[in-house]
Amino acid sequence: MQFFIQLTLDGLTIGSVYALVALGYTLIYGVLKLLNFAHGDVFMVGSFIGYGVLQALGGASNPMVPVWLLLLLVTGAAMIGCSVLGVVIERFAYRPLRDAPRIAPLISALGVSFFLANSMQLLFGAQQFNYASYNLSGGALYFRGFDLDGVHVPLLRIITIGAAFVLMVILWFLVNHTRTGKAMRATSFDREAASMLGIDIDHVIVFTFVLGSALAGAAGVMFALRVPTFAAVGFTTGLKGFTAAVIGGIGSIPGAMVGGILLGCAESYTAGYWTTAWSDLVVFTILILFMIFRPRGLFGRVDIRKV
Amino acid sequence: MKKGIGLALVVLITAVAAASAQGAHRQLQAASAAGVSCTSTLKLAMVTPLTGGAGFLGTEQLSWAKYAVATLPKTMGLKIQLLQGDTPVEQGAAPALTLAQKYAADPSVVGIIGPSTSGDAEASAQTYYHAGIAQISPSATDIPLTYTVNGKKLGTPAFFRDVPANNIEGPSIAAYITNNLKAKNVVVFDFQEPYSQGLAASISSYLTKHGVNVSHLSAPNTTTDYSAYVTKVPSNTDVVVFPTQQPPAAQTFAEQLVEQGKKAVVFGGDGADAPAQFNHPGDYVANFAPDISGIPSDAGIIAGWQKANPKATLGSFGPPTYGAVQIMLNAIKIACAKDHGMLKRADVYRNMKKVTIKNWILGGTFKWSTKTNDPLNAHFFIFQIQPNGKYKLVNN
Repeated sequence: MQFFIQLTLDGLTIGSVYALVALGYTLIYGVLKLLNFAHGDVFMVGSFIGYGVLQALGGASNPMVPVWLLLLLVTGAAMIGCSVLGVVIERFAYRPLRDAPRIAPLISALGVSFFLANSMQLLFGAQQFNYASYNLSGGALYFRGFDLDGVHVPLLRIITIGAAFVLMVILWFLVNHTRTGKAMRATSFDREAASMLGIDIDHVIVFTFVLGSALAGAAGVMFALRVPTFAAVGFTTGLKGFTAAVIGGIGSIPGAMVGGILLGCAESYTAGYWTTAWSDLVVFTILILFMIFRPRGLFGRVDIRKV
Repeated sequence: MKKGIGLALVVLITAVAAASAQGAHRQLQAASAAGVSCTSTLKLAMVTPLTGGAGFLGTEQLSWAKYAVATLPKTMGLKIQLLQGDTPVEQGAAPALTLAQKYAADPSVVGIIGPSTSGDAEASAQTYYHAGIAQISPSATDIPLTYTVNGKKLGTPAFFRDVPANNIEGPSIAAYITNNLKAKNVVVFDFQEPYSQGLAASISSYLTKHGVNVSHLSAPNTTTDYSAYVTKVPSNTDVVVFPTQQPPAAQTFAEQLVEQGKKAVVFGGDGADAPAQFNHPGDYVANFAPDISGIPSDAGIIAGWQKANPKATLGSFGPPTYGAVQIMLNAIKIACAKDHGMLKRADVYRNMKKVTIKNWILGGTFKWSTKTNDPLNAHFFIFQIQPNGKYKLVNN
C-alpha cells in the first residue's frame, strides 16, 4: 500500500507540472485554435529565470530573504518574464500568420521552439542547473510535511501540487467570472463576431498569451525546485503537457488539470509497477488512443457545425 | 525517357558517393603513411566533453592538457599545438566520430588525448587505429577498451589509458561497500551506456560473490527526475551504487532519497566526482587519482598550473591528463629518434610501451603493464563527502 501511495504522490507531483503546462496549451488553443509548440520551451525559460533570480537573491544556501518570500519572488519573476516572452512570441511569430493557413503558425511555433532551446544552450551551455532547494532552511522543504500511512509527504510536494491547484482556480475564475474572460470566451467561439461586437481581438489574444506563458513560467519553477533544469528539458515536458491537454479535452480548463494529473499518475504507475524504460511509451500511447477513440478528450465539447 | 534519366541519376549519385568514400579512404591512408618532420609543429588533439553535463570534467582536463603542452615540449625539443574537440555526453558518440574523422585526415595530428568517456573511446578507436594515431585516455575506464571480455576487445593496439579500468574500480568500490560499510542490501544502477554498465556489472559480480543481496535499476542517461526510481529502492537498502557521469544527477538522487525517507548511502563512481555539484554529506565517490597536493614532487607543477588557472580548483581529473600528455610527448620523442626526424604516426603508438616516467604526477614511477595498455599497479581511491561538502580520502 505504501508503494502505491508513494507512486500516487509522485504522479500527483509531476502531474501538477504537466497540468500547468497543459493549461497554457489549452488556453491558447481555445482562443486562437493554435497549438503553441513553443510552450514547452517557454516553460524551460521560466525555470532558467527562476534560477537566475534565486542566485541573485543569494542562492539556496544563503538567501537574503525568508524562504516563503524567496519562493514567491522566484515564481513571480519567472511568471512575469515568461509573460513578456509570450507576448514577444505572439507579436513576431504568430500575429503575422493569423490569417494564413493553419499549418503556417504551427510550423512557426516549431521554429520558435527550436530557436528558444538552442539559444538557451548557446547562452548557458547544455549542463544542468540545480536550484539546490534541499539547502533551503536546512532542508525544511524536504523534511517538513506530514506522513500518510508511512509515506512522507514533504512540504515541497505540497507546495507544487497546491500551487498548481490555486493557479488553476484563479485561471478558471478569470475566464468564467470577469469581463476579460468573457471576451476570451467570445473570441474562442467566433473571432469575427466578437470583433464585430467591439471586442479588441488583439488585446484578448495578447492577454491569453500573457496568462498561458505565466502558467508555463510557474510550472518551470515548480519543476526545477525538485530536479535540475537544462536547455533541452522543454521539448519533452511540452509534449507531455500537450498530451495532458488532449486527454483532458483541449480547450477545457478543468480538463487540462485532470489530464495532467492522470498523465503524471500513468507515468508513475508504469515506472513503479512495470519498468521506467517504458513510461514515455505508455504516455504517448495514451495520446494516440485518445486521438483515435475520443479526440475531444474527457471534458472537451463536441463541435456542432451547421451544414 | 523519364525512367532512363532517373536511372542515370541514380547511377551518377552512386558513383559520386563511391568516389567520395574512396577519396576519403585514400586521404586517410595517405595521412597515416606519410611522415611529418619532427622539427615542425606537431599537433595533439584533446577530445573531451567541454560543454553539457560533463563539461566540468572536460574543462578541468583541458586546463591541465594546455598547461602540459605549454611547459613540457620545450624540454624535449618538440613544438606542439593542442587542438580541442568537444564531445557533450548528451549527444552520444556522434561528435567523437566526427572529430575522429577530422583528426585522422590531418597528417600533422600525431596523437589524441582522450576521448575522455568510454562510449566515445569505443566508437572512435577503429578510426584512429586505421589512421595510425595513438590515443591515451585520461579517464575512459570501461574494461573492454584494453581487455578481452567474452572474446571481444573494443580498443585497439593504438589505444592506451593512464588510469586504471573498471575491473579495478568495480572491486575497489565493492570491497569498500562490503568490508567498510558492511552493507547487506545494495541497489546498483546503470545508465544504459558503456561506462556505467561495465562498472555496474563489475561491482554486482563482486558483491554477489561476497554474499550481498544485489538488485538492479536501469535509467536512461537523460533522466533528471529520479522519483520513480527512488520509489523502487527498497527501504532496507544500505547502499545505492550510482555510476552516473553527471554529478547533478547524483545530487538530485541523493536528495530525493532523503525526501522519501530512505536511509541508503549513495556511492558514485569517478563520473560523479565533482565537489561543486555532488556534495551530499555522507555519500561516497571513487576516483583513479589521489589529491596530488599531498605529493611533494608535484608542488612545482601545481603552482605553475594554479598560476595559469587562478580561478580553478585542484581536482582529480586534471592530473591524469597532464600525465597523458607527458607520456605521449615521450613516445613522440622516442619515435622521432627511431624515424630519424620524420615521424610516422603509427610509430608513436608502437613505441608507447617504452615510456617510463619517474616522479609521476600521480605518485611513484609510471610504467605500462606488460599484458595490456594500462598502467602497472594502478588503483582507485575512495572519498567520503563531509558535512562541509568537501571530499575526504578514506582508503589508501
